[in-house]
Amino acid sequence: MSVDVAQAPPSLLVCERSSFVEQNNRVGSHVEQLHFNYKVSLLLPECSSAPSHLDSVLKGFSSFYLIRKLPIYELLNKDFLETAVYHGSVYGLSYKTRVDEDTCVALMPNGRLCLSLDKYSFQLLGFEGTRSRFRPKDRHIVSVDLTNNSMAPGGRGYLRLLTGLMSRLPLSMDFLLSHHPGGGASLQPLLSRYDWSEHRPEMINQVLPHLSCPSDPKSCDAQSFLEWLGAVDADIGSENSSSSFLSSFVCPELKTVLSRALRVSICGLLLPPDVHRLIQEVRRYLEQTRLETWASLTVHGFADSPVSWRDNEHGHLRGGENFYTLLMFQDHAYHLYLATGAHDTCPP
Amino acid sequence: MNVDEKDGSGVYQRVVLKNSSPYHYLKVCLVLEDELTRLSAVELKHFIITGLKNLYGEVGAALSFDLLKYDEDTLTALLRVYSRGLVKLWSSLTLLGSYQNQACAFRVLQVSPFLLALTGNSRELHLD
Amino acid sequence: MSVFMDLNLTFTEDKSVLQRMIETAAQLGFSTVAINYMFEPKAKKKPQIPAPTPITELMDQLPVVQGRSRPIRVLNRLTLVMSDSFHFRSTAPEYRCFDLLAVQPTTEKLFHAACMVYDIDIICVSVTERLPFFFKRAPVNGAIDRGVVFEVSYSAAIRDSTMRRYTIANAISLIECCKGKSVMVSSAAEKALELRGPYDVTNLSLLFGLSDKDCKEAVSSTCRSVLLHGETRKTASGIIYTVKSCSEASDQQEAPPQSETCEAPPSKKQKSSVTE
Repeated sequence: MSVDVAQAPPSLLVCERSSFVEQNNRVGSHVEQLHFNYKVSLLLPECSSAPSHLDSVLKGFSSFYLIRKLPIYELLNKDFLETAVYHGSVYGLSYKTRVDEDTCVALMPNGRLCLSLDKYSFQLLGFEGTRSRFRPKDRHIVSVDLTNNSMAPGGRGYLRLLTGLMSRLPLSMDFLLSHHPGGGASLQPLLSRYDWSEHRPEMINQVLPHLSCPSDPKSCDAQSFLEWLGAVDADIGSENSSSSFLSSFVCPELKTVLSRALRVSICGLLLPPDVHRLIQEVRRYLEQTRLETWASLTVHGFADSPVSWRDNEHGHLRGGENFYTLLMFQDHAYHLYLATGAHDTCPP
Repeated sequence: MNVDEKDGSGVYQRVVLKNSSPYHYLKVCLVLEDELTRLSAVELKHFIITGLKNLYGEVGAALSFDLLKYDEDTLTALLRVYSRGLVKLWSSLTLLGSYQNQACAFRVLQVSPFLLALTGNSRELHLD
Repeated sequence: MSVFMDLNLTFTEDKSVLQRMIETAAQLGFSTVAINYMFEPKAKKKPQIPAPTPITELMDQLPVVQGRSRPIRVLNRLTLVMSDSFHFRSTAPEYRCFDLLAVQPTTEKLFHAACMVYDIDIICVSVTERLPFFFKRAPVNGAIDRGVVFEVSYSAAIRDSTMRRYTIANAISLIECCKGKSVMVSSAAEKALELRGPYDVTNLSLLFGLSDKDCKEAVSSTCRSVLLHGETRKTASGIIYTVKSCSEASDQQEAPPQSETCEAPPSKKQKSSVTE
């Protein structure tokens, strides 16, 4: 047996180029399909403060709720299903649980409940599920559609899951919850029974002066553009010469220096409809501004969510990264980069 | 690397890149026994090279990596290394146990093939 | 995959050092640790096995595991360094004070006995010297079948470069023999700065020849099966052993009426208390 220490850990990057005016562009569906977003980071070159219409969208991200020690069978509560799940979409994700160690639970906006369980919990629950793609031996995924007939309150599958979660595997965990479009009102009956708190997404605005930037992001290759964008987000200077001892990182070829750029980041449990609204406003901003410019928007998903895009299983080997970057231009063209690390299915 | 290209209408283009990241990025923090000791960026880089040399010899010392960012107050650094060298760099950081005769440890806070991912780690979400 | 564990923190008389170690382990993301009492019986004298210090005496409040809302779990473990077969007394009542029982055999004969006969949980692979014997497939497979786990510890490799060579060499020869099954990697740290995070250990284990998947198991699932093995070993002598099952009763009080028709069968319930 040889020890191969030069093997690169796997990763995936999907690059998509199209235009918003194209009928079958898929930006909208990609945004909707990444359900659990942790952070949105927006970069507007040559901008010192966001125009009011953009600012109001940035400040208008929905609040979310943290419930302490929520027993998971409460998500099957008849009233909760009727007031929240069947009407509108619920975004729920277990908090302070790790998908490579613990049991993780996600309630998706399409009414699907996904439990990522270790082998022992899965056997205790006694409900049908599938083996994990990445750890077929010791992790199982139970995914049920709560809007399906068999899962209607009183139905056979419903009772089976309910008793499983109540008596055999009484899971309870801290839970992040949000509802679109109802907000807190739709969740109130559930919240009132437990210890809960409301949280606003946290926003940070920053103007970056004298930023070197690739002069033509449209033709810049994906890897080096994403690296440059990462360097901007992490406040890494790119003024090195490539022969420097400390770092040979430089801005991609043909750089220009922007006099300023605005960076806005928002953290919390962020809903795809809000992200979608933000994209529309950024496009409006690009149309209105006279300068020839572009804008980039990066959305990071939760590292410990049991699903990433759509209902696809998501795992955590080293980093659990899943994010996308949308690069928008004035002529309605866009570049979309969807990235994941190891233990993740290919984004749609 | 695996490239699968669909170019239907001429406007829509989709490319899937597998394992294409040339680099991996690490966010690390050095913990020293004497908490008042400070290292400059150059000293830190030399220290890491020593670790590589101890574990992998001259070939290891020749492994190139970049110190993208370094905060002297918190001893926190962002490193960039060719993907093929990640396991080597990481293991030599793990086995570094002393700096100038005092005990030390590198805490690797996050590792990713994307630099962007280091600024959006949901494990850092603290709501209390 | 279960939670990360480090089942070997070396015991020292100095309480503050031990406390720092437990705190650091929690910060690094370990959910369970075991304090290891090393014991080397001297020839001829009747050995005096140390009694473990109760955890409550060690720390008033256990630290919370990083990123989680639960405190760290601390266990006790005894490691016998054996140079003669009479050092292991299978019925010694002192063993029962410990959650885990490990031996470190120094001869091939003892290694064989440890793999095939002794009622233990862990076999330590020496990392501070050249192996005095080769691993043979038969006893190693025997140990795997019995649920006994091999342990490689890494802190010696941090302390000294000669030890590092022995650690890597001995670990590779073990893993070639057992094909990466039933191996756990732990720290054997003597102070907090010798501990490394679970993902660091995972990456380090690649050097020992473990695969990506086995590496993660070496700090999680394998450790979990050791704990279960330890629990059943303690109960094997026919004493009834009860575990407080988690607030099952209170959950059922709040349950809607449907649950009455679908009570869990008693066999399932029993299982839940064992796996807790």
